[in-house]
Amino acid sequence: MLWRLDIILLLFLVATALGVYVTKDLMAASIIFSAYSLTMAIVWQQLSAPDLALTEAAVGAGVTTVLFLITISKTVRRED
Amino acid sequence: MRKFLIFLCLAICWVVFLSAVVEMPPFGDPANITNRHVVPRYLEEGVEEGGASNIVTGIILNYRGYDTMGEVTVIFTALAGVLAVLKREDVKTSTTMVATSPVGPSLIVTTVVKLLIPFIVLFAVYTILHGDVSPGGGFQGGAVFGASMIHYTLIFGLLTYMRKIRLAVKVPLESAAILSFAIAGFIGLFFGQKFLTFLMPALSHEAQYLLRHAMLLLIEVGIGVATGIIFGSIFASLEKVERI
Repeated sequence: MLWRLDIILLLFLVATALGVYVTKDLMAASIIFSAYSLTMAIVWQQLSAPDLALTEAAVGAGVTTVLFLITISKTVRRED
Repeated sequence: MRKFLIFLCLAICWVVFLSAVVEMPPFGDPANITNRHVVPRYLEEGVEEGGASNIVTGIILNYRGYDTMGEVTVIFTALAGVLAVLKREDVKTSTTMVATSPVGPSLIVTTVVKLLIPFIVLFAVYTILHGDVSPGGGFQGGAVFGASMIHYTLIFGLLTYMRKIRLAVKVPLESAAILSFAIAGFIGLFFGQKFLTFLMPALSHEAQYLLRHAMLLLIEVGIGVATGIIFGSIFASLEKVERI
């Protein structure tokens, strides 16, 4: 059961990573990237690394996304 | 032609990395070199030598103390780089997203953030202080603390944030991590040991235990406070810049 959950999470990771690459709208891309980080946090938890999961959830999904959004709001939103 | 070159470079990288992965020892094999020497030592003597019942914290702050000290310096350097490029926030020129946006923050958002912030900070303090018994520690708690400050700033603006934490308080706190690490490191020198050692054979068993816990706590709190404040400072200096 847990093994199957891992497969779903890893597939979702690949999907979100490709989504970040494909998306031209930077706002959407950074939000997809935050979904990637959140999934990564669950994967760390599945690999019995709760320390890393906490860091990934706080830094990857929280702080980094806000910093990206701030930067986008100061510059342009679309990738050329 | 350019695309072909990029593809070629990526393909070469792919082959090199894959061959490196093939060469790696099998995952979880008890016959691995690391599993024969390093891991048993950590698991058997980590609690006694490291001083923390959470072995991860013991490894990070004790066995690999130099490494963690370097990481702390990296965070500090990142802040220094951001400030060198963007400069620190200034009360007179600072504007906030909320102040410049045509729609002010709604009552629901401000109320929810006001209610949530104390609990987020409480969780951050818990994570920092319980680093030696449960998962977490300075970095994690500090990141949560920094995120809470960022959320506060996003809703209530940079001016109230800077009124809450003044620059004269912020600047020394940003270097708290390196400072606490150095202080904890020099304690070893006073007892005739190496830098950053946690083992003091000159003291009795109980005194050693207490001292080790005090050093761990000092380092954890230092890292936590510094990480949080540094995240807040980076955010504030990014937020300040006027729209180009």
